[in-house]
Amino acid sequence: MEFRARDYIAEEASSSLHRAPTDDHPLLLVRPSSNQVDVVELKRNDFDDPLRRQTANEKNLVADVQDAAHISKRGLFSYYYDPHISQKDWGSFKTSLMQKFPASKMVSVSSISGVIIKSAKVNEKSSTKVHIEELNDPQKFTENEVKVISRLEYVERLRELKDEIRHAWGTDDRVTSLKLSIKVAKLLMDNSVSEFYPTLFILVTEVMDMLGDMVWERIKTKAECDNNGTRICSLPDYFQSCDVCSDAKETCYNWFCKIGSIHELLPRIYLELAILHCSRFLNDQPFDSLHRLTMMMRGLADPLASAYCRVYMAHCALRLRPYDIGYLITCFRDFKIILSNIIFENDAKSGNSLENRKQLIGLLEPAIEWIMKCIFKGPCERQIEDVLMEFGLGTTPSDLCGNLKCISIVVHHLIEELPAEIVCSHVLEIIKLIEGSNDISYDQSLNFRLLGFKLYEVRPEGELLDSIIGEVLQVINEYDDLDSYLKVADAYFDIVLQCHMDSYLAMILDSISRRTCGRDINENELSSLQSIFIKLLAHHNNLDDLFVLKHFVEILDVLHGNARDVVNMHILRKATRNACICDPATIQFLFEISQALHDGIDISNMRDDHQQAVRLITHFVEKVDYGAALERHLTFLLECRGAFGRINDLKEALVHSSNYLAVKAIKDANKFSGFVKSCIAFSEVTIPSVSANMMQMNLYIETAEVALLAGLVSHADGLVDAAVSCLRDLVQADGSQVAIDIDGIALLMQRLFSLLVVLPGNPERGAVYIPKSIISFYDDKPWITPRMRTRFLCSIVSLSATLSQEKLPYHVNNEEVPGNDIIFFGDPSYHQELISISRSVLEKLIDNIQLEKHSAARGNIALEACNCILSSFKASEETLLLCSKLIEIAKSCSNPSDKYLRSTINVFDKYVSPLITKIEINITKLNILSVNCHSHHGHPLLSTMEMCTL
Amino acid sequence: MSIELKLSRSSRIYCPNEFLEGKIILKLNSSISHQGVRITANGTVNLQVRGGSAGVIESFYGVIKPVHIMNKSVEVKPSGKLSSGTTEISLVSISDNSNSFQIPFSMVLKEKGKDDFERFYETYHGANISIQYLITADITRGYLHKSLSATMEFIIESEKDSLYKRPMSPEMVSFYITQDTQRHPLLPELLSGRFRVTGKIPTQCSLSDPLTGELTVEASAVPIRSIDIHVLRMESILVGEKYVTETSVIQTTQVADGDGEFLFRYFCFAIYELCFVIHTWLSVPVSLQLPFSIEFQVSIVITFQSELSKLQPKADPRTPRLWLALETLPLRLFRAE
Repeated sequence: MEFRARDYIAEEASSSLHRAPTDDHPLLLVRPSSNQVDVVELKRNDFDDPLRRQTANEKNLVADVQDAAHISKRGLFSYYYDPHISQKDWGSFKTSLMQKFPASKMVSVSSISGVIIKSAKVNEKSSTKVHIEELNDPQKFTENEVKVISRLEYVERLRELKDEIRHAWGTDDRVTSLKLSIKVAKLLMDNSVSEFYPTLFILVTEVMDMLGDMVWERIKTKAECDNNGTRICSLPDYFQSCDVCSDAKETCYNWFCKIGSIHELLPRIYLELAILHCSRFLNDQPFDSLHRLTMMMRGLADPLASAYCRVYMAHCALRLRPYDIGYLITCFRDFKIILSNIIFENDAKSGNSLENRKQLIGLLEPAIEWIMKCIFKGPCERQIEDVLMEFGLGTTPSDLCGNLKCISIVVHHLIEELPAEIVCSHVLEIIKLIEGSNDISYDQSLNFRLLGFKLYEVRPEGELLDSIIGEVLQVINEYDDLDSYLKVADAYFDIVLQCHMDSYLAMILDSISRRTCGRDINENELSSLQSIFIKLLAHHNNLDDLFVLKHFVEILDVLHGNARDVVNMHILRKATRNACICDPATIQFLFEISQALHDGIDISNMRDDHQQAVRLITHFVEKVDYGAALERHLTFLLECRGAFGRINDLKEALVHSSNYLAVKAIKDANKFSGFVKSCIAFSEVTIPSVSANMMQMNLYIETAEVALLAGLVSHADGLVDAAVSCLRDLVQADGSQVAIDIDGIALLMQRLFSLLVVLPGNPERGAVYIPKSIISFYDDKPWITPRMRTRFLCSIVSLSATLSQEKLPYHVNNEEVPGNDIIFFGDPSYHQELISISRSVLEKLIDNIQLEKHSAARGNIALEACNCILSSFKASEETLLLCSKLIEIAKSCSNPSDKYLRSTINVFDKYVSPLITKIEINITKLNILSVNCHSHHGHPLLSTMEMCTL
Repeated sequence: MSIELKLSRSSRIYCPNEFLEGKIILKLNSSISHQGVRITANGTVNLQVRGGSAGVIESFYGVIKPVHIMNKSVEVKPSGKLSSGTTEISLVSISDNSNSFQIPFSMVLKEKGKDDFERFYETYHGANISIQYLITADITRGYLHKSLSATMEFIIESEKDSLYKRPMSPEMVSFYITQDTQRHPLLPELLSGRFRVTGKIPTQCSLSDPLTGELTVEASAVPIRSIDIHVLRMESILVGEKYVTETSVIQTTQVADGDGEFLFRYFCFAIYELCFVIHTWLSVPVSLQLPFSIEFQVSIVITFQSELSKLQPKADPRTPRLWLALETLPLRLFRAE
């Protein structure tokens, strides 16, 4: 048995591809073709975000439900329903209302809502003689106790009532239907349910809408059919009252009469609203009743009841599509009176606490929002101007604001609903308006804030913008409260930054610093400050520009807690975006920031943002560059090691950096040995604290490579030993550890072996001391798979074969380090040792391969082993026997047309042919050469080419 | 053997100058002979005195003899025989197993050319007074046979051209209610605290229109719980030398719901508009040619928040109470086109 002599240079030349010089960089010239973009987009769409998917589904669901509801009505009056403006909006309004007031489980109910409390006892007698007047509960004023029932029960009962109404209608008992509907409408008179009121409103209006639709359908049927129910005509969508026969008209009129004779005001209004759209049968101009209803609603004193009643009116009126929104304006005027009474009422006098009043305003807010929405729902421009006049805009604002005190929550919804362009064109008046409205209903600063966001959409220009910002800043400058100031400043910050209004920026920062100094910052303020900082960072490309800003660092220091971390992370992200960080002051600043971040990291609870922080700090350390001041850099690394002890990943970066420094120093011959030694010492000290064994081993190998490059053979020896012991720890670790990366270990081992090729052997320990010691602990580990073991054994064979060469494939790029080919040149015992270790390995090989249970894998590793043997040994009986066995195994396991099998057989045939003395073997099969390519753990700057010559 | 009347209009409403048209529907088992088929329209005013301002003696008389205001009769078919084979009167055979005949008829309610002196009263059903019109179909069948007859009510409404022209703007009357306008005792806190409610209400109103007015609560020391509008009907009957009047509430409508707590603080300067529809059948335009009169009033009742009111839950709204303030105004109702 004899190793084959190899001529690596010739082999490389023969098997590498033909190379030709090129003028263009092949990668630089790649233009982003449309195809590529598509692929990226497609991938994005494919990305399965479970949360987003769900919302999409939900949206579809809601849309489906609404569509269904819409379709069911389309046949009747699609002309009435513009699905985009009425039904959909109403649907989403209802949803938002439900979400906004998730009422407590229990609902307090006064005795007005008797229908809910009393057991479901419905008069089933279909006596049409029962007068509606009888419904007027005489007990109403006598009992005022408040009872409590569960919300579920309440809702369930309402649902039952709804079913009863539908059922009664179905059995032609329309009087009962109406009676029950009146009872349901009466529930809204009960304001003791407070928080439950919005929900109740929705449930009741659903019943009302149902009744309205049923009445509509009935009258329409009457108009379209004769007495026997046969359809004689069909009403066009845009029918006029003269198209309707008198019989149908009479029925319709009777409905209005019946509803008109309900005693109580609130149910009367609700029911009339419910059937309001039916007035089209009687009258071509049904809008007049809207005005009357608006006036009638003034009789409702309870703010909650009257507000929601107006909401229902606005909803029902949409079905009539009135061209005039005057009734809404009147509504709104009344609304403002209600609100101002609540807002400006004297606490002591009314006995109504501020708390209660705020709660009430909260309950009223959706109503304001909805009516405002309806007002701005598609009126023409002239009307918008009129509406604006109503709110004191568009004319000389100073006059109007004087006598018409605006309520801030109204102003809020006004700005919200107004199109951004109109906001922009009236901006100065709006500012005046906001300025004039400062009450308990809504925080004035939030209105300024909203205005800021609206303006950001349009971006007014030049002088106007200047005066806007000036005006706003002037107003908010009066605020003592930091929170309010920040909220407003935050909203305008983007505009200020984008328009480079540096003086305003300075002014804002100055104001903030004045307000923050020497006081605690609460959560809200922190989040506003955070947002401001993020905007600042997003706008400036260079950190240095920020540091020169007055108060920047000062305000930054005020931050604490999570906000501080978030801002710090943003700063780090900004800083590490640059190629390198050179300025010592910046480095020092970032170091402090990182330290603060590091101190906040809770190792036991690695949340996502903590991971991010860790990555950012690591990134920062990697990006630091002191240029020629290598010692300073090493000191920095030392500091980092001390400061960021809890970050594992960082240690790896530190070792890479110090190795990088060492290599840099090696190249720069002046600062040799001492500094390099300290770098290597730094690495040596740092590596053991890295927790992952594999990473440790990788770093040891890397450092050993650097040590070799520096000619520090004994250091390298020590490091390789450490790597071997790491490997031992890895192998001896319990195989049950799931996380063990078998392939990773194999690669590391191969990387170690390829280092052994150039590591000068120690004659005292013998040439193959290290492989031997590895074999010793590699055996008898049942969890090591046959495949892995085969790889390992083959690596040893390849290593031995390589070491036996007279000329090694590569050397250390340092003349002081002798190669093994020089040290052991012509030493027969050395060769003997290599042969014997190979032989002992080969003996185990076949048995080991047979252990592999999976046949395809078995065939594959057999071929691998065969290739290894073919490339390592000269043809002899022993090896021929071994190879033919291996090929037999492979043949039995894999498809005969398998390419790997075919080419291996091909090589084998050449190998056995006595005529061919020099066998060309595909170089890609040579494990020993490919090893270095596999190691992707290496420091990017420390390429193998640098230390090795092929 | 049955007889039935069917009028040409399902609402059964006719104007005096219109033809009263319809059919007599006969179902016969065998052919019969008769002495004529007649249609008769009758109008009567029934008066009844009870309660109200009537004394014991008047009540004793009870029902005053009805006054006939219309009696018209038309022979639709001279005497003859009715059988399935008689084509002259049978028009359509409706059902299979019995012979059905429809005998159409038509009669003039008010003959043209005659002077308009004879005024038609509209159908009216009140508490003590009713004006009713009946149509009767009679088939006389000699001595030994029972005559067949059927009766049904029809309704008279004034004809279009005699209707009032709807005034362009309704005539409004202003009123105010304060503690000083009340003739009954009030809660002490009301007297000391003052209140003032003003308003406008029409003096006349078309039956088909809502009664629309305005109400402003200008001040009130005591919270208002409710404001209601009552429409009252006063029926007066001449008994002997004097009128006996019976007043009843025909409609009550809430126009302001105060719920005690909020009303005043929030609606100091609000205007209330009231709207209600009076059921057609309950009222008529009235003239005073007969010994009775029908008038209407509208009454605005303000209920103040009071513990006392809870003790007497169901009270006649017209009864003055300590916690009520009222104002009653005459109202003329008319039918307009």
